Amino acid sequence: MQMGEVIYEVKGVSKRYGSVVALEGANLKVHAGEVVGLVGDNGAGKSTLVKVLSGAHMPDEGEIFLDGQKVSWANPRQALESGIETLYQDSGLAPHLTVSKNVFLGREITKPGILGKLGFLDSKAMEEKAHADLERVGIAVPASNRPVNQLSGGQKQAVAIGRAVAWARKVIILDEPTNHLGARQAGEVLQVIKEAKRKGLGVIFISHTLPHVLEVTDRIVVLRLGRVVRDAPTSQFTGDTLVGTITGTIQAIPEDEV
Amino acid sequence: MSSSQQPNLRLERFKAVAGNQNSILLSVLIALAIIFTLAEPLFFSVATAGNILTDWGSIVLLAAGQTLVIISGGIDLSVGGTLAISGVTSAWMMSVVLGFDTTTSGSDAHPPLMIGAVTAVITGILVGLVNGFLITKLRIVPFVATLSTMGATLGFAIIISNGMPIGGPNDFSIISPINRDWMPLSWAVIGVIVIVTIVGLFLHKSRFGLHTYAIGSNPFAARAAGINVERHLTKIYALAGGLAGLAGFYVYLRLGAGSPSSGTMRELDAIAAVVIGGAALMGGVGRMLGTVIGALILFTVQSGLIMAGVAPDWKKVVVAVLIAAAVAAQTLKRENRQR
Repeated sequence: MQMGEVIYEVKGVSKRYGSVVALEGANLKVHAGEVVGLVGDNGAGKSTLVKVLSGAHMPDEGEIFLDGQKVSWANPRQALESGIETLYQDSGLAPHLTVSKNVFLGREITKPGILGKLGFLDSKAMEEKAHADLERVGIAVPASNRPVNQLSGGQKQAVAIGRAVAWARKVIILDEPTNHLGARQAGEVLQVIKEAKRKGLGVIFISHTLPHVLEVTDRIVVLRLGRVVRDAPTSQFTGDTLVGTITGTIQAIPEDEV
Repeated sequence: MSSSQQPNLRLERFKAVAGNQNSILLSVLIALAIIFTLAEPLFFSVATAGNILTDWGSIVLLAAGQTLVIISGGIDLSVGGTLAISGVTSAWMMSVVLGFDTTTSGSDAHPPLMIGAVTAVITGILVGLVNGFLITKLRIVPFVATLSTMGATLGFAIIISNGMPIGGPNDFSIISPINRDWMPLSWAVIGVIVIVTIVGLFLHKSRFGLHTYAIGSNPFAARAAGINVERHLTKIYALAGGLAGLAGFYVYLRLGAGSPSSGTMRELDAIAAVVIGGAALMGGVGRMLGTVIGALILFTVQSGLIMAGVAPDWKKVVVAVLIAAAVAAQTLKRENRQR
């Protein structure tokens, strides 16, 4: 396995919402070129951890390191600009905008000269580049000038994941990317994850679909009730032991190696 | 292009043009003009066109701002009140502060009028910033936030003016048709067209416009893409306020006075124009040209009914029917697409 340095890491992260403890001292790290699966039951703290990783929420306690440097995110934009892309569950696209406008949303290409200074967009350049970028990461591209709400569910997800992989420079966080997809489409998404790994990105893959997690990840982190209860190479899990660890029928193994 | 795979390209293209919202709206507008001309031949005249365009000028400024707000998924009920208070502060600045009264006219009035215009726009922007603050900082939904500023602006307009119109300097040639024989446009209307065109270009061609659509389409996606949603919404409400302020100054030019009652119910005309123009109140959908034609339809109907001898009270009913028809057409279209 051609794994690099630890590229992204959170240590001792806690987050409370009022009296509800969503995360309690969670640790997670991902190496360059590594796919880490993040699993857990509903309410285990996955979404909260994703929000901390993507800069959407500030943790109450804990530290975040990118490339070994301590960082903290005041908003998702800062994380984005540092090379961390997040694909959110179901809602990452603006349905009324075209494929290319979605791919470039927040990072638009503007026209040269004074018009560009005023924020006028170079739609043609964006359409061509969106097409090329999506193709490069292995996404069968629907016409990039079509509104996203005219695409099928699988195509939408392909656009969302293609955008994330095309833009990511360091880390890509995929929250349930295979949800609601057919077998073939889910297979394509897993292919794109492998492509992201080959690019040397650190991939954090959140999913309920355990066969997908077992197929595509190098390491699995299991959350239960806001705590990390297991962090081990994927080869140490079978489908049964993974389910057991998630539900708690298999007792937590202390993370002494972390 | 990628569309070359489509087998029935010509038919697709015909459907696209025929089904285009703006083509439909233009057809409705032309049909209305023909019907009213048949009912009353005098309808087809430069004078009528001048009246319609002069009425249209103030509402299209309100509606242009409303278009941005509605595309972003919000609503601004305060534009009528903003129009009134801006007209009043503008008149107050020119007559009370600067000391120009109604005897100042013609080109002598131009310097104070410029200051009056700036005052009106600044007043409007301030109201818009208050809306932005209520909506993005205090998290009040736009409907309620702008309902409160609507009440506040109408109230302040009466307080500042003591309930009476404030007269001031004016040059009526700015707001009168350039030539009564062949040119129904006034310089004021030409100015409005230029401003609305610029706003439309920014809406459809710039990053500002794209972010407006993105926020209305899916605010979560917009935020995830790194857009500062709160700041963008504040800008939109400030812009809508500034345009409403300009509308206040436009109405001042028509009346030669800032009247506290000039804005009452005008927000509904503006919303009607936007909705007839094809924007969806859920956000993410709308075109500036649609709004412009929507406002023209509104005033063509109002003028036409009056000239055809229909009692003015019916005008409100007809506008109501138009709004309902526009929204019903949108709903049908959306359901067809999903089928």
